[in-house]
Amino acid sequence: MIDFVQTTVDGVMVGCSYGLLAIGFTLIFGVIRRLNLSYGPSIMVGAYLGTFLYVQFGAGPLLVAVAVVAGAAIAGIYVERLCFAPMKGGAGVASMVSSFAIWMQLEQAMILLLPRHTYAFPALATGAPWEFGPFTLRPDQLLMLILAIATGIIVNTIIYRTRFGTGLRLVTSNQIAAHLVGVNVRNVMLGAFALASAVGGFAGFLVLAIDQQVTPMFGMWATIKGLIAMMIGGLGSVPGAIAGGLVLGVIEAHAQGLVGPQARDLTAYLLLFLCLVLRPGGLFGKAPEADGAFSSRST
Amino acid sequence: MSAEILKVSGLATSYGKIEALKGVDLRVESGKVTCLLGPNGAGKTTLMMTIAGILQARRGSILLEGKQLVGLSPANIVTQGVALVPENRLVFPQMSVRENLLAGAYQRNDKVGIAGDIERMYTRFPRLRERSEQLAGTLSGGEQQMLAVARALMSRPRLLLMDEPSLGLAPMVVADIFRIISELNRDGTSIFLVEQNAHMALQVAHHFYLMEQGKVTFDGTPGELAEDEVIQRAYLGTSRRSDP
Repeated sequence: MIDFVQTTVDGVMVGCSYGLLAIGFTLIFGVIRRLNLSYGPSIMVGAYLGTFLYVQFGAGPLLVAVAVVAGAAIAGIYVERLCFAPMKGGAGVASMVSSFAIWMQLEQAMILLLPRHTYAFPALATGAPWEFGPFTLRPDQLLMLILAIATGIIVNTIIYRTRFGTGLRLVTSNQIAAHLVGVNVRNVMLGAFALASAVGGFAGFLVLAIDQQVTPMFGMWATIKGLIAMMIGGLGSVPGAIAGGLVLGVIEAHAQGLVGPQARDLTAYLLLFLCLVLRPGGLFGKAPEADGAFSSRST
Repeated sequence: MSAEILKVSGLATSYGKIEALKGVDLRVESGKVTCLLGPNGAGKTTLMMTIAGILQARRGSILLEGKQLVGLSPANIVTQGVALVPENRLVFPQMSVRENLLAGAYQRNDKVGIAGDIERMYTRFPRLRERSEQLAGTLSGGEQQMLAVARALMSRPRLLLMDEPSLGLAPMVVADIFRIISELNRDGTSIFLVEQNAHMALQVAHHFYLMEQGKVTFDGTPGELAEDEVIQRAYLGTSRRSDP
């Protein structure tokens, strides 16, 4: 029982960053109705930029965090301009394939920047784990949880309390109608990519700061975790993304606890498979092609 | 000739290789209701979407009181004072009626003015006040049409474009819509209306155009329209049974 609670708590901590990764994914899906396969690699660009500053100049965690977020946002803008903005409606497959090509391009560029397989990444917080009776809590994980929740609140505020957020919700709800009421759809899309990649970048920073190392597999890893969490929660739903992330994190943690580390990723795919078979719309989505994601105020 | 608010000349728009508009010329008079008739597939919606900037014109010009609209973004065209009530209404289904109205005022910053305009819309469309907090997707077709009109008016347009506002609505509701069109026009809004219901349009419009296969084939007053034999047969159904 003690183990069960401890593992669940650990899973929730990791699940929060999965949730953030999924929020980014879902924001982009909401506005373009397509999968952006370059989402994880955009985050990797930020991560490598941060790592570069850390390895070369010994930058502290704060500066690294800023670099990761900024790098990811700029890479997101690059992907949107190159890959999605020129593709008007109907070219869904073309833009998805080109986002795959950009994935390869970004990944190779980062490997050229930092060619070794593994690099150290700065820790978020140091210090001995706190003991609460039989339970332990790592301070860096707790900090990650707090920062992840804060980021979720900020994103929610942007979506529901700003003019850009209104535009984003209108474009997500109906792109042509958004044009007709005077939303600058191009700018909103660009903003959505920048915001989504920045949120994803921050999630990436949190995860890497816990692991304290980064490898070239990180882009792929971020895409897959974000995608699975998004699919579990329901395409295009922000509350769904958080829920999907938490579910994924907790179940992965238990799989690792019961079977071992090798079961971790396997369970994630199994979960995706079960979800697609049993509830293709995800926990919070109506159907995969459901319209009007996160446009109601029910968050 | 009185002042014109909109002048379309030589306008051509294509979908790939298919030319939907093949050089359209027409004008909308200021303060009047101008109606465009035509069968399905004639290019009426294409014309509306091109004026609103959603579709790009291949050639020709669209002048709003002398200012060129071709090449402007849809958002910019809204800024110029043109609002389109699109075919099939396109309300934001997961948002409340009030949020839809606020969306219509997306480009405006005057909070007091916006609140006043919402109140005016509720007075003009009492059903919208009753349904204020209801999600737009749950409204009836007629209510959604009212909402689409009110949303377009929230941008305070000088020219209101309406694409088949009576489509798929019950006769009672259609009568309501046309009453509103003539009220709006009496209050000074210039209206360019696409309709297939020529009978109803004859009650409100000051000038008619007929479009067929991407070209304007008739241009005249309501009187001339009512006298034109071909149009009578096809749109007013007076001589023979026909499908309008």
